[in-house]
Amino acid sequence: MILPIAGLLLGIIIGVAFPISVPIAYAKFMSVALLASLDSVFGGLRAGIEEKFDNTVFITGFFTNALLAAGLVYIGERLGIDLYYVALLAFGLRIFQNLAIIRRYFLKK
Amino acid sequence: MPIKQGQVAIAAVCVVLGVMLAVQFRTTQDIKASVPFQRIEDLSQQLSKVEKEREALLSEVHALRSSTSSETYNRELQQVKIKAGLVPLQGPGIIVSIDDSKRPTKPGENPNLYLIHDDDILKVINELRAAGAEAISINGQRLIASSEIRCAGPTLSVNNTRYSPPYEISAIGEPQTLESSLKLRGGVVETLQFWGIQVTIKRPETVKIPAYKGAITFQYAKPEEEAKKQ
Repeated sequence: MILPIAGLLLGIIIGVAFPISVPIAYAKFMSVALLASLDSVFGGLRAGIEEKFDNTVFITGFFTNALLAAGLVYIGERLGIDLYYVALLAFGLRIFQNLAIIRRYFLKK
Repeated sequence: MPIKQGQVAIAAVCVVLGVMLAVQFRTTQDIKASVPFQRIEDLSQQLSKVEKEREALLSEVHALRSSTSSETYNRELQQVKIKAGLVPLQGPGIIVSIDDSKRPTKPGENPNLYLIHDDDILKVINELRAAGAEAISINGQRLIASSEIRCAGPTLSVNNTRYSPPYEISAIGEPQTLESSLKLRGGVVETLQFWGIQVTIKRPETVKIPAYKGAITFQYAKPEEEAKKQ
């Protein structure tokens, strides 16, 4: 449990230290990608708890989810469909589901 | 330790997630700090509109300056003449006919109550003016700034000319507004009709209002600048 949290902190420190910034026009895509990665991390944690963890599935899932989500929102913007909210809803639901499962495992112990 | 597998992979991904979080946080701060795009568009549109208006006004000023001064003078003179009531006018409006009450006076009652008085006419005129009447005449007498309306025995004196009932008040203006201003609940017409005074309102296509026929002389009043010179 310590290692992932340490990684997160390290990432935040890197992000704060380096002045990387996304143009405002792309902030929407970035936020969806962020949500997708958050979902992937929770999914990974859950798989780790359930002892079903697969490294390749996890890593590829992380990147494809983030990129696909951002791409979908981009296409939706072009077509005039607000796929942004669809992605938000889907990932949000899954995050909460994963969280619930992780919580149960902690309680069972 | 509940997580048994993939700690390293999750940690690596968490690093990426952390970077994304920090970047997104900063971007959101930037969005909040900057002026919204919509607002910029609105303001620039307003600016271009105002600039166009200014240009139009400037060209108007130039045109007015370059045009002969007599032309503008004549136009102004015409405007003032219309305002003073020296030009016959026509336009949409209403004609209000008012006649004395036909109701027989009951014994012991003041018959004066059933007659038209100057203040009844004044109330009608006042209401019409409030409703935006641009020109008003009573029995063909144009009402100007110095017109009087007063009882002179059994008759009504307007512009020093006497008239007996029925009185016909013509007014130029938005007909609907004029009519409804008179017909307000508890308004002038209702009050008059309470006493049996007959009021009829017509809305002809065009109402013609003659010019003021009398002479305008000023014996005492003088423009301020001339008085100073003396």
